[in-house]
Amino acid sequence: MLKRLKSKSSGILTAADYKKVGFRIVYWIIFFILSVAVLTALTPVLWLFISSFKNAEELTATPYHLFPEAFNFNKLAEVWQMLNFWQYFLNTIIVVVGAVLCSVVFNGLLAYVFAIVKPKGYKIFYGLVMASYMIPALMSIVPLYKQIIDFGLINTYIPLWFMFGANAYYLIMFKNYFESLPKALFEAAEMDRCGKFKAFFKVVIPMSRPIIGVVAIFTMTAAWSDFLLPYLVLNDDSMMTVMVKIYNLQSTMGTVQGFGPDKLLMILTISILPQIVIFALFQKQITGSSAVGAVKE
Amino acid sequence: MKKEKLYDRSSVSYKAKRLFKRNWSGWLLMLPGLLLFLFFVWAPLAQNVILSFNETKGFESVGFNNFDNYIRVFNDPMFTKALANTFKYILWSIIIGFLVPIFLGLLLSEVVHFKPFFRLGIYFPSIVSGIAVVIMWSYLFDPNPGAVLNQLLTALGIPVSQFLSNPSLTIPLIVVTMTWRGAGGTVLVYLSALQNIDNSQYEAARMDGAGALSRVLHVTLPHIMPTIRMLFILQIISVFQVFYEPLVMTSGGPDGASISLLLLSYRYAFESFDAGASAATGVILAVIIIILTVIYLRISMPKKDKVSNKWRRYAEKVKK
Repeated sequence: MLKRLKSKSSGILTAADYKKVGFRIVYWIIFFILSVAVLTALTPVLWLFISSFKNAEELTATPYHLFPEAFNFNKLAEVWQMLNFWQYFLNTIIVVVGAVLCSVVFNGLLAYVFAIVKPKGYKIFYGLVMASYMIPALMSIVPLYKQIIDFGLINTYIPLWFMFGANAYYLIMFKNYFESLPKALFEAAEMDRCGKFKAFFKVVIPMSRPIIGVVAIFTMTAAWSDFLLPYLVLNDDSMMTVMVKIYNLQSTMGTVQGFGPDKLLMILTISILPQIVIFALFQKQITGSSAVGAVKE
Repeated sequence: MKKEKLYDRSSVSYKAKRLFKRNWSGWLLMLPGLLLFLFFVWAPLAQNVILSFNETKGFESVGFNNFDNYIRVFNDPMFTKALANTFKYILWSIIIGFLVPIFLGLLLSEVVHFKPFFRLGIYFPSIVSGIAVVIMWSYLFDPNPGAVLNQLLTALGIPVSQFLSNPSLTIPLIVVTMTWRGAGGTVLVYLSALQNIDNSQYEAARMDGAGALSRVLHVTLPHIMPTIRMLFILQIISVFQVFYEPLVMTSGGPDGASISLLLLSYRYAFESFDAGASAATGVILAVIIIILTVIYLRISMPKKDKVSNKWRRYAEKVKK
């Protein structure tokens, strides 16, 4: 265990410091605090998973038991089929995929123009983006909702996809990254008489995998858990995303026969599980996201 | 004669042509992104301002009515509550949520054992966010004395709590869940800023006899200061947007103790169908955000970090 400490050569504390016992104690305190942090991050969701296997009586039973009598996986299948949950999952995936594509392409392209191409007058638009960045998008939900109705986009996924293409936060992340790329690269592209559009796909995109990964993951989680606009836009039950359906279930609980809190907890578990799968699949990108800044010349 | 005219570089048409030739491709590339911003951000924003000065029926405006919407909103006791609550949210989020990610980012950048595990674990709540998690928290904060958290409190010898139904606890508890959800993403941003620090600066500081604490204060902090500043503003902006938590966990209650401006604006629009009042609330919210941001930028922007420059110079010397 101590070997790693002895070979630590960068950062605030290095091997030289860890020769002292005091710093080694500090290190294990750091280790302990991080362990507590991870535990805090995981426990609520673990509690949910465990509790969702309880039946209605167990959920309200006194004295309190942390664990259910039995982990009955039939309950999972039963709830799933009762609500025909495939539909909502599929809908959500459609929304998420479109949102990620829009987010990467449109924010990336605009950031590329702001950071590299810089045509005359770009500053006006950059200023506008920055100015509106501070103002919450939910603030003007009524005019946006009206606009979506006027354009005939109600009950479609189109506004839910393209909304992610106008995100100042992702735009700034892209812009900062592009500005950190070596200038020589773009000069070379210019010399090759590579068009600006072509340069974006041939030079910028391949060089920007880490930041694309980060923005894609951020968008994925944001789109998965997005609620208000989908709730307003998607009226048909067959179009609803998981989050909208869950909210509807929660607010109408008691009116649906045989649907109580114990089943709701199971639904919550079901809706969280794929997020964990995504998380597991894209670990590398998530790890990479913290290395974004580390990609220097 | 003709040739001279052709190359007259001061002529307007020549300048316009040159301007167009040099920039058209850039403008074209900007277009799709700008159109999206127009549709989703700028146009609704502008319409919202107009709407706030109009009498509305349903979502349609039926004529200018001066400041009537604003007066109506200001006279609504719920608005005063929401306004006060918003500042309570911000205060609590600074107390609970601002330092935690900086601290965890620092620790995470220093740890060498199980680093990927810690990173993923801390980021975990950000990936499972959404309405589902908010509902989960409302079950965790079950005020029933036999429920999980109250059982835990009893085991620790602390009296049982009403949690979200206690007006003085409801905002801090909502902020706790917001921090739980949001801290991981922020930690990653800090971590990437921390890993970006050139190691030679630490070496230079060390050669200069700087202890661990002074390395943190004079190298690390100045370096991540821009990130801290940026995320501080971002946090305030995001707290202003608090909406889902009170909507789902408390529906603004008990008795408006947790209602936020955005939730109130939503209620005006979609529960009492008063679009004018909703727009006015939104505009007030925007104005507050703009004022706060400007004040904050004024305070924190100038003064280049002299200290970090000092170390940078040292680093350059060492390199030579």
